[in-house]
Amino acid sequence: MSNGIFGIGLSGLAAAQAGLTTASHNISNVNTPGYSRQETVQSNAPPQFSGSGYIGTGVQVTTVRRVYNDYLGAQTQHVAAGAAQLDTYSTELGKLDNLFGDSTSGLSPAMNNFFTALNAVAQHPADTPSRQALLASAQALVSSLRQQDDQLSEIRSGDNQQIQSAVTTINSDAQQIADLNKRIAEATAAGNQQPNDLLDQRDQLIRGLNDQIGATAVAQSDGTVNVFLSNGQGLVVGQTASTLVARPNPDDPQNYEVGLQNGASVLRFTAQSLTGGALGGLLAFRDGDLTAAQNALGRIAVTLASAVNAQHHLGVDLTGALGGDLFTVPSPVITNATTNTGSGTVGASIQDATALQASDYRLSYDGTNYTVTRLSDGNAQTFSSMPQTVDGLAITVSGSPAAGDRFLIQATRNVPGTLKVAITDPARVAAAGPVTTGRSSGNAGSGAIGAASVDSTYPSTPLASALTLTYAGGAGTLNGFPASASVTVILGGTSTTYAPGVSPPYTDGATYAFNGVSFTLSGTPANGDTFSVAPNVSGTNDNRNAQALAALASQNLVANRTTTFAGAYGELVATVGNTASNAQTEQTAQAALLSQAQSQQDAVSGVNLDEEAANLQKYQQAYQAAAKVIAIAGTLFDAILAIGATS
Amino acid sequence: MRISTAQIYNAGVSGIDQQQSTLSHTQQQIASGRRIQTPSDDPIAASQALTLSQAKDRITQYGDNIAAAKDALGLNDSVLSQVTDVLQSLRTLVVQAGNPSLNDTDRASLATATAGQLQTLLGIANTKDADGHYLFSGFAGNTQAFSTAASGAIVYNGDQGDRTLDVAPGRSMQASYNGASVFEQVRNGNGSFVATAASTNTGAGTISAGSVVNPSVLPGDSYRLQFNVSGGVTTYDVIDATTSATVSSGNAYTSGGNITVAGMQVAVSGAPASGDTFILAPSTSQSVFTTIQGLITTLRTSASGAAGTAQLQNGLTAALANIDQASDHVLTVRASAGAGLSELDSLASSNSDRSLQYDTTMSHLTDLDYNKALSDFARQQLSLQAAQKSFAAISSLSLFSFL
Repeated sequence: MSNGIFGIGLSGLAAAQAGLTTASHNISNVNTPGYSRQETVQSNAPPQFSGSGYIGTGVQVTTVRRVYNDYLGAQTQHVAAGAAQLDTYSTELGKLDNLFGDSTSGLSPAMNNFFTALNAVAQHPADTPSRQALLASAQALVSSLRQQDDQLSEIRSGDNQQIQSAVTTINSDAQQIADLNKRIAEATAAGNQQPNDLLDQRDQLIRGLNDQIGATAVAQSDGTVNVFLSNGQGLVVGQTASTLVARPNPDDPQNYEVGLQNGASVLRFTAQSLTGGALGGLLAFRDGDLTAAQNALGRIAVTLASAVNAQHHLGVDLTGALGGDLFTVPSPVITNATTNTGSGTVGASIQDATALQASDYRLSYDGTNYTVTRLSDGNAQTFSSMPQTVDGLAITVSGSPAAGDRFLIQATRNVPGTLKVAITDPARVAAAGPVTTGRSSGNAGSGAIGAASVDSTYPSTPLASALTLTYAGGAGTLNGFPASASVTVILGGTSTTYAPGVSPPYTDGATYAFNGVSFTLSGTPANGDTFSVAPNVSGTNDNRNAQALAALASQNLVANRTTTFAGAYGELVATVGNTASNAQTEQTAQAALLSQAQSQQDAVSGVNLDEEAANLQKYQQAYQAAAKVIAIAGTLFDAILAIGATS
Repeated sequence: MRISTAQIYNAGVSGIDQQQSTLSHTQQQIASGRRIQTPSDDPIAASQALTLSQAKDRITQYGDNIAAAKDALGLNDSVLSQVTDVLQSLRTLVVQAGNPSLNDTDRASLATATAGQLQTLLGIANTKDADGHYLFSGFAGNTQAFSTAASGAIVYNGDQGDRTLDVAPGRSMQASYNGASVFEQVRNGNGSFVATAASTNTGAGTISAGSVVNPSVLPGDSYRLQFNVSGGVTTYDVIDATTSATVSSGNAYTSGGNITVAGMQVAVSGAPASGDTFILAPSTSQSVFTTIQGLITTLRTSASGAAGTAQLQNGLTAALANIDQASDHVLTVRASAGAGLSELDSLASSNSDRSLQYDTTMSHLTDLDYNKALSDFARQQLSLQAAQKSFAAISSLSLFSFL
């Protein structure tokens, strides 16, 4: 009987000791991330039958369990993936926001200075310092574009590096999860008890994995978990981890893509299929906002440079020659996919800069048809033959591409980094108009000739020498136009074209156009009155073309002639600002959600020191009481011995 | 509800973090005076501010152009006022030369004075602007506007380009006037027709500069008044010199009486000899230099006898008419430049109004409301202190301290 009391006392001691140990374990892990508090589960030991009924035999510790809610755990992991994605996305957008945010530096003032300098040339066309200042401001504009491009490229290469390091972390986490799966399966099978601390470690690893990429854990009956990525691909299956690879995209080596190592080959993932975690944020930012911003900036640069060049071609410089390029506009960059097998090469040139979209294009060939995909919105056009013009880009194919060959066409993204100023000699700035007009001083009539303007066809048929137009009073015609040129007479919106060699009639107020030159005649000329139309060879003080160049600033030339250069830049800044602001709002909301989920989980699983203090107290007293039971059992035993000794 | 120890610390720290970041943002706003630090702070206002600053830049550029146009027109006007002065003194000279008491020597000295004025005018016409370019050579700024050819004639070497400057959206202002339009394209005679006496006239008839009495019938043809003296009676025929048709013949002549031909009215005075002719021709453009050179020739030609005096008189009448035309022409150019200047003034003042308005709007969009910001700052400071104090109080509570 005293044996029973000893046993009961001992079982009580053991149970209290287990309680104390567990409380101490909880206390010492109070700051361990991912630790779930543990508690002993004790039950009364099976009773012993006696004639007087069942007699209790003490206590037994059934198990030590961790207090963990699977639902809350999964929720925290899921929310953490979203929070990490938005956090990274918002941080990266913040870099763009800062880059475009400063209104005192950057492109806006550089563009403004360039057009101000053009205006200054219009004010003093013959003044070399003004021309020099124009070239300097053109250089400053190019530098400002290059600087922004440098920063954008830096952000891109930083993203690529972060993608690589995220993939490294993911692989290491996946491997550790697989290892833990193995140990947990072994431990569970051996003792039929849960290895709480290993489970905590694994949950914490999955939680960490979700900071890098969205991943879902599915529990298996043997205690292991399988981890799946957002695109359904298994990252960890049982005790085996797959390996993710970050490598340059074969279609676009500037960008790193993520894939799954599958034997010797790589299973490629589309960026859109990978969501959640830092990796999801990086991919969404790099392929979305960053590319869009670079292309939008590039489109402004290429449209501005092309428009300025086109207008500059219509002027004459101080030497009397027609203007050349003011900017050297880089050609579109074509990247052949490294997987191409055919011999086809693709060429692209900008045909109409005003029609350009802020996007890259992919040309793919399926054996019969060519498909040109605008990557910004996925708009695809299919052609049975090439060349074709898409969004102002003339695309040609030579050689024979193989089916499945792909080509990346970038007309805008590289421009800010490679644009150059083409002239260094201030005398080469074509500030003057190419054609001058005049009436002869001996004219008897009141006929007057307006200033000549030229259109884009003029440089191909420039005026070689001075023309004298003579008014023939009898016939009422104007003679002296070049014999090879047809003359168009425009009056009040009606235009009439006269064949080469035919003298057009003189009409008061009409505009006469030939070979790209046009001018207005008005008044009443007398018979034999003459007017001269001559190439401008000594017009050093002529500012007509400089004015036309300066006026480009207020013309709608970007995005199919819907906005100005400054307007397009404002749109870019507003888009970045809006996206960044939205991302910040979403990120704040998601962070609140995460802290709430974390808090719910902590409320269940977290260690409370006061509670553990009470537990210590409780188990200590239980221990002391059980010890007292043993002491009493001893006393009882002594009493029995004493009976024997006295009798 | 159960709360874990970590939660207490996490909540405290994240609360303090958040308060600090809000406080720091407000502090940045106060330090910079700008409400919008990056576009994401207020994307709409940020893009509006950008548009606004671009609009303001455009106005500034127009302002620069206005200032440049004003400088150019101002210079133009001051130079042209010198031209007016020269023409004024030439007019006085011509009137003086008409004094019948002057002899050939007197007129020769007047001719010398006139030649001096011609050189002065030539100098003015070749004025350079501040950049060292000829003011009146059109676009050809490096080409001397007027020079004396081998024949002695003063010729224009520039072109007929006039520089304009964009001074407002859709408004370009002429900022220069070429020499041909200022000095050469002057209508001669009375502006509509020229009345001249034939150089072969032997009589003492003089002809006035004339005037237009009926503009609607001005035909554009030249007419000849052909005088006949027969038996002491002077008559004249009117012949259309362009078609050689006789319009009327045998008209009675009264000295000083008006003769009206095809809407043109002239007065012939004195005694024309038989066979003398006077010609009425439509005006053409005549350079002011040609006019002055003609005047010098007239003054240097010896005037003897009635016929000589009449020649002189006719020459002086023509010169006076041409000089008056030139004066009018220059004044017209100056008036057009003056109208431009006053338009520029009003544009400049409306620009500065708009610029001020843009500044005001810009300030509303981006500038910080200090009252609000400072009160926010004080409130946020208080919240932070409260968060810190409550955290300190809560974290010091532990059951272990009582065991």
